[in-house]
Amino acid sequence: MNCRDLEETEIRLFQIRLPQTELLMQTVRLALNAMATRFELVMYGEDAVLLRAAGEEALSEIKRLDERLSFYNPNSEVSHINDNASKNPVPVTPDLYSLLKMASELSDKTDGAFDVTVGPLMRCWGFVHGSGAWPEESVRKKALQKTGMNQVQLDESECSVRFRQDGMAIDLGAIGKGYAIEEAATLLRECGVMSALLHGGTSTMVTIGSPSCGEGEWTIGVADPLDESHVLTSTSICDEALSVSAPHGKAFQKGNHMWGHVIDPRVGYPVQGAAVAAVVHSSATVCDAVSTALLAMNRTEMDHVAQKFDDMRILCAYPDGNELELVSNGFNSTDSTIPNDEKNG
Amino acid sequence: MTKKTVSRRAFLMGSAALSGAGLVRAANIKTRPWPGNRDEVHCGIIGYGPQGREITATLARVPGATVSAICDTYAPMLRRAQRDVPEATRHEDYREILDNPDIQAVIVATPTHLHRDIVLNALEAGKNVYCEAPMASSIDDAKAIARAARDVPEQIFQVGQIYRSNPQHRSVFQFMRSGAIGKPAMARGQWHAKESWRRASPNAERVRELNWRLDPELTTGLIGEAALLQMDVAYWVLGELPTRVQGFGQIMGWNDGREIADTIQTIFEFPSGLHLIFDATLVSSYEEAYEVYMGSESTIVFRDRGKAWMFKEVDSLMLGWEVYARKDRFYKETGIALLANATQLDAQNLDPTEDDPNVETPMWYAMQEFMDNHAFGPYPPAANWERGLEAAAVAITANQAIVEGTAKEIDPRLYTLD
Repeated sequence: MNCRDLEETEIRLFQIRLPQTELLMQTVRLALNAMATRFELVMYGEDAVLLRAAGEEALSEIKRLDERLSFYNPNSEVSHINDNASKNPVPVTPDLYSLLKMASELSDKTDGAFDVTVGPLMRCWGFVHGSGAWPEESVRKKALQKTGMNQVQLDESECSVRFRQDGMAIDLGAIGKGYAIEEAATLLRECGVMSALLHGGTSTMVTIGSPSCGEGEWTIGVADPLDESHVLTSTSICDEALSVSAPHGKAFQKGNHMWGHVIDPRVGYPVQGAAVAAVVHSSATVCDAVSTALLAMNRTEMDHVAQKFDDMRILCAYPDGNELELVSNGFNSTDSTIPNDEKNG
Repeated sequence: MTKKTVSRRAFLMGSAALSGAGLVRAANIKTRPWPGNRDEVHCGIIGYGPQGREITATLARVPGATVSAICDTYAPMLRRAQRDVPEATRHEDYREILDNPDIQAVIVATPTHLHRDIVLNALEAGKNVYCEAPMASSIDDAKAIARAARDVPEQIFQVGQIYRSNPQHRSVFQFMRSGAIGKPAMARGQWHAKESWRRASPNAERVRELNWRLDPELTTGLIGEAALLQMDVAYWVLGELPTRVQGFGQIMGWNDGREIADTIQTIFEFPSGLHLIFDATLVSSYEEAYEVYMGSESTIVFRDRGKAWMFKEVDSLMLGWEVYARKDRFYKETGIALLANATQLDAQNLDPTEDDPNVETPMWYAMQEFMDNHAFGPYPPAANWERGLEAAAVAITANQAIVEGTAKEIDPRLYTLD
């Protein structure tokens, strides 16, 4: 495992205001390239040596999970499922089984807007190894038929996974990062870390304790999708996770319209709902999945989903002409904005 | 429960057909059911740190294995075990696992210096044992374990030198031993990472226990705890054990009060005259881990836990199959990918120029061999007590050379039992 010292903070979907370090308080920053993104970790405490040791263990867990959960690594556990589960039940590790079960429950709670069987659709829309292309209608329909968590058989007694038809594929891209961050945060807590922030690609993050072991909360700015240098709104979190999803990271143009890489698994087309969706919840895994699902939902569906989760706060930004309409459900925007010179932490 | 595996016999049949790495047919791991008249092998995991967790996760996917008990002396690890494998019993004292007659096999994944007592007690209790590598951190311990394993041939004793079980390594081993690199010139290897090697805990006593790798009295240092698996491949493919080692060690990056080197260089001398240069560091991750075997006809490079490429000399003979093999560019060099199962991929209409989607991790193959041995053995595993003793003896002596900054003869008596 190679944890690199943090040199710069990538800013994309959210921006972070890091506190001034208290006297006698040590700051340790680490980073890791995994899951096709950059994970960054900042920790505060009295003993820098122990902080770094804890951080290395946490990032090592993310790397381990990346090797097992990757859709792109042909030797990952997920690839083994995708290659074999249409022929036989595939035994999986208990933690992956639990994650798939959780993914199934989240699919139910989001009425199918979140679905890890979106792999065939991602392939047909050219987003697996490219930036996307409009598929033939027959290909799209065939991929849609091979999508749906209801076609995945999870056998708890055997701890196995089976697809009900050939050609299905699980892609944990919309939940794996959140899961990895949540697991890493658990290790950090077990190691005694009292104050930390860990994010993956500035789209999903978790916080432990208060900034710099002091009081108060972490201030996070949700980036404006129309201008990443501009903060759409800020919020404060403490011992919680935040995930921000947007379809514009990888997209292609057809006609006058941009089509992003987030596919609505219910209809088989790139999402056309919110331009940005942000979710705050105690679980980074849930945040990651729900923020993706919200991109496929309208305002009514968003309200409906929010009621199904305890303590979830949601913010969606819907395009309205040349502006964005912000719709919030419990998302406590702070008055304080992040000055430009603090955005890079 | 229906599970699928390949039998030991089928694997040996596959091995017998080896005829050159590019055309080797590997075992098909998905084609044979676990014998219906056999019960699952109930395993106990002793030590639930990162390695114990990795082994547990691997066993969940290996046909015939069930993790039924987990032991760790630290409560947070047992809570993790409860979450990961809720049906397994949890224990703070490993003797409770040894006392359980339903447990046939134990996996020892504790710190190296704790292996001796656990392995000896487990063998005495009649268990089959998989012991993580290095087998021991002192010659006395290594010999005690080897002697105990030798004396119970009806029980399985396998050491975690996992590349010995890996089909990819086995195929390249055959390839190299057939003389493909020509006259060997030299070998070189490295293990590079940027990490402190420290472990953290809110409990001060636990911190001391966790950081045994940094304790000069307990550790075999980088050469034993990080490089041993790569070094083991060297002894295997070269077919000889080193007779002398020169070592150097420095603290170049982690000036945090540690006494053991975070950067080492070693030169091993072999009876044939070949020299192997190996370095390791915790300060730089550049190029991570690899081994290179250079010869008059070609050079073979291992990296990424078993992937291998051959770089031919311009005047070397054509071997035929390489025309169709995958070529990968490495700056100005072109490497010919050595795939363990190229013909099988071709037969399955899979592209032999791509990575095989059905390849498992080296750990998986090691665990599969351990489980197969329960069904069809006992027979000496590829990484048996002899291989464990040899690797431990080299690592311990090399670490002494590094600590002292000297050259040390490796007494051949270290490699054997009296």
